[in-house]
Amino acid sequence: MLRAGALAAVAAPLIASGCTDEPAAPPPPDPLADLAARARADAAAAQAVAGAAPELAAPAGEIARLRTEHAVALQAEVDRARPPSSAPSPAPPVAAPPNGRAHLLESLRIAEEQAAALVPTVPRHRAGLLGSVVAGCAGLREVFA
Amino acid sequence: MSGQPKPLPADSVEAVQRALGAEHAALWVYSLVSAFLPPSFDAPLREGTTAHRARRDATERALAASGATPRPAEPGYRLPQPVTDQATAITSVVAAETDATVAWRAVLERTDDAELRRAALEALTNAAVRGTRWRKTGRIAPTFTAFPGKP
Repeated sequence: MLRAGALAAVAAPLIASGCTDEPAAPPPPDPLADLAARARADAAAAQAVAGAAPELAAPAGEIARLRTEHAVALQAEVDRARPPSSAPSPAPPVAAPPNGRAHLLESLRIAEEQAAALVPTVPRHRAGLLGSVVAGCAGLREVFA
Repeated sequence: MSGQPKPLPADSVEAVQRALGAEHAALWVYSLVSAFLPPSFDAPLREGTTAHRARRDATERALAASGATPRPAEPGYRLPQPVTDQATAITSVVAAETDATVAWRAVLERTDDAELRRAALEALTNAAVRGTRWRKTGRIAPTFTAFPGKP
């Protein structure tokens, strides 16, 4: 198995270079696109919570505002690096999750973790942006902790 | 942060020196304001002081390990306004924490070193969280910002 795998790996580039009219392999997806999508989804969920639970309207509204700002900045960086052919689809309206407060805090924690995981390896200007996203999520969790 | 610190990449030394300056300033502010805050603030004052002192010491060690001379603290720092009461004390702490977030984000943008980035991210995040807590206590709006450390 190992031997066959190694042979295939060697053979593949040869075949690819032989067919020049083959379309180039698509570049790997931008990891920030995922973060932007998550930020849009978080904002949509927070908006739904704000609408469904009056006692959470203020904090959920703040989360929606903050995560929208994150989504815009992250998407702008994704688009700068690789100009898009079409606009990203906005997050569809969602039903308010049960246990809204816990759900929102958990989403912020996950967002913080995902952005933090990218910080050590991204280009410098992205490290600054992601660092602020991490700190923004952490600060917001603190407000409602 | 354990054992002998690793030398810093040469191109990030200046940003780290500035971050060290922000840590010195934060320690000065925390010490100054304590006289203007009631005992109910002892815990957050102690927490902030401990965190900034640890960060200052680690930063000085890292700079020294790189052959740089860690810049010493200034005798005093300019405040957004004179500290005369609880409200101005809190405003000053918030300003110091905000300055720390800006300085550490700048480090993130000036190094490719993964370890230094992790330390800078932690410093930025912790300063942002403490800043948010102080704003909350002082009822300073907005309580948080979307991009702490963005100059």
